[in-house]
Amino acid sequence: MSGLKALRNKVAIIGHAQSATIRRPTETLGVTAFRTAREAIADAGMTPQQIDGFIAATMLPSSGAHELEDGISLVSAEWMAAHLGADPHLVAGFQGFGQITGSLNIAINALASGAVDYVLLHRALYNPPGRYNNNPMTHVAGWQQWNAPQGFFGALPGIALAYNEYMQRYGCTRETTARIAVEARKHGSRNPLSYWYGKPLTIEDYLAEPVLVDPMSRLDCDIPVQGVAAFVLTTAERAKDHPHKPVYIAGYANSYGSDRRLHLNWTLDEMEREGQALAARLWEGTGYTARDVQLPQLYDGFSPFIYVWLEALGYLPRGEAHQFVAEGGIDSDKPGAIPVLTGGGALGCGRLHGLPQLLECYRQLAGRAGERQRDVSVALMTYSAPHIGGAVVYTNDPA
Amino acid sequence: MTARPVPVPDETSAEYWAACAEHVLTLARCSNCGQFSHPPDIICPLCHSPDPAFSFETVDGGGKVRAWVTIHQSFLNGFDTPFMLVDVQLDDQPTVRMIGRLLDGPDAPVSMGAAVTLGFEDIAPGVSIPAFRLGGAA
Repeated sequence: MSGLKALRNKVAIIGHAQSATIRRPTETLGVTAFRTAREAIADAGMTPQQIDGFIAATMLPSSGAHELEDGISLVSAEWMAAHLGADPHLVAGFQGFGQITGSLNIAINALASGAVDYVLLHRALYNPPGRYNNNPMTHVAGWQQWNAPQGFFGALPGIALAYNEYMQRYGCTRETTARIAVEARKHGSRNPLSYWYGKPLTIEDYLAEPVLVDPMSRLDCDIPVQGVAAFVLTTAERAKDHPHKPVYIAGYANSYGSDRRLHLNWTLDEMEREGQALAARLWEGTGYTARDVQLPQLYDGFSPFIYVWLEALGYLPRGEAHQFVAEGGIDSDKPGAIPVLTGGGALGCGRLHGLPQLLECYRQLAGRAGERQRDVSVALMTYSAPHIGGAVVYTNDPA
Repeated sequence: MTARPVPVPDETSAEYWAACAEHVLTLARCSNCGQFSHPPDIICPLCHSPDPAFSFETVDGGGKVRAWVTIHQSFLNGFDTPFMLVDVQLDDQPTVRMIGRLLDGPDAPVSMGAAVTLGFEDIAPGVSIPAFRLGGAA
């Protein structure tokens, strides 16, 4: 057996920890990451010296002119291994856009191959001082010389173009997209570790917010925060010897970008085409179909991503996800709804780059979701946009 | 108001910006597969030749609007807001998309598939940036 099927349920998550999510740092990011990593390792019933693999992705997704420094504005796997005093066999990081899903892939392969026995995987997000995306450049060299001189700059205008094309092509409205932000904030407001804890949003609030890049407002974008989560992974065999119920990884699929375009010009065509191809690989590799997944936690760093992921994965035909959302299809308080944002997502928790989705999959499948516990055995997370991001399927059934 | 950022030409772009300064749009054609790529790359994105020897050829630059947005808050200096950006599929080669400012203003009656023609904005001495205007070729 080769390819993704060979990895099915070979690796499991056995522990986790999450820091508070805060807007402005009260503690240096590296210290928060260090504390969170130690807590995750203890959660798995282990000590840092037993961890022989360290994996992380470190992107700060800002177009601003910020200085980057390991331990301060990002936290690499190397930094973590050294500061924990470990003696690792593998230290690695993922370089592409699909940061959390890509680093999970490295962990899964390293464990399944037998190269390492225990992996600490972490992601630390930083909120730089000052305006997040503003850039005072007067001259622009390299790739961005083709887009910045006309004012096309940063991720938001590119996403807003693809969203506008979706709206025009399929008849979607901002009144419908409001329901995505409201659903995310509903769950974020119920989570003490979320930035938006205690702060739900109404459709009226959403529609009253001025647009930044029409058709998108601040409420269509996740808010930059500082926050960390860490996970311990091991092989399925070893997972049985640890205190918590293992959550197995059934498979994954990724996209790695496609068409050569202006920087951050992500077109709807690409998202649809590459997303469909990603889903085909995911279902083939895991043996599941969309219908088998009771908890598909979809990435929502920008609200319209929910539409394209719902359609790419096959929950709705192309162009119909917005009608489904308009009818309350993702409102998890309604019977029969598809629970895509019950972890609060990025819009409800803050700019944590897929961590809310991963945390919700883990906690629900490990039976550690407390009052929010659902009866589920197969969950899924997606991260980033379908043409450059990834998806991972989890189960608590090792069969 | 602070000036808009100006491009810094390099070996992949010097001919392009020199032509723009004369209000002429050129696109980079791969010498191996004969297709335009925008922006060009060190390896042809379409045929993957490591020696694409791109040559810049004059094109019309007109096309169809695929999407548009109105920028109310710019992350860069030098832009009066609001302004509209249009995502244009070029008639010269439909796989090429260009994004430029719509010179008709932020309230122009743009629509999906609307025809646009090429224009230029002179933003500094010897520096002109491609932009678009509603309407087909005269």
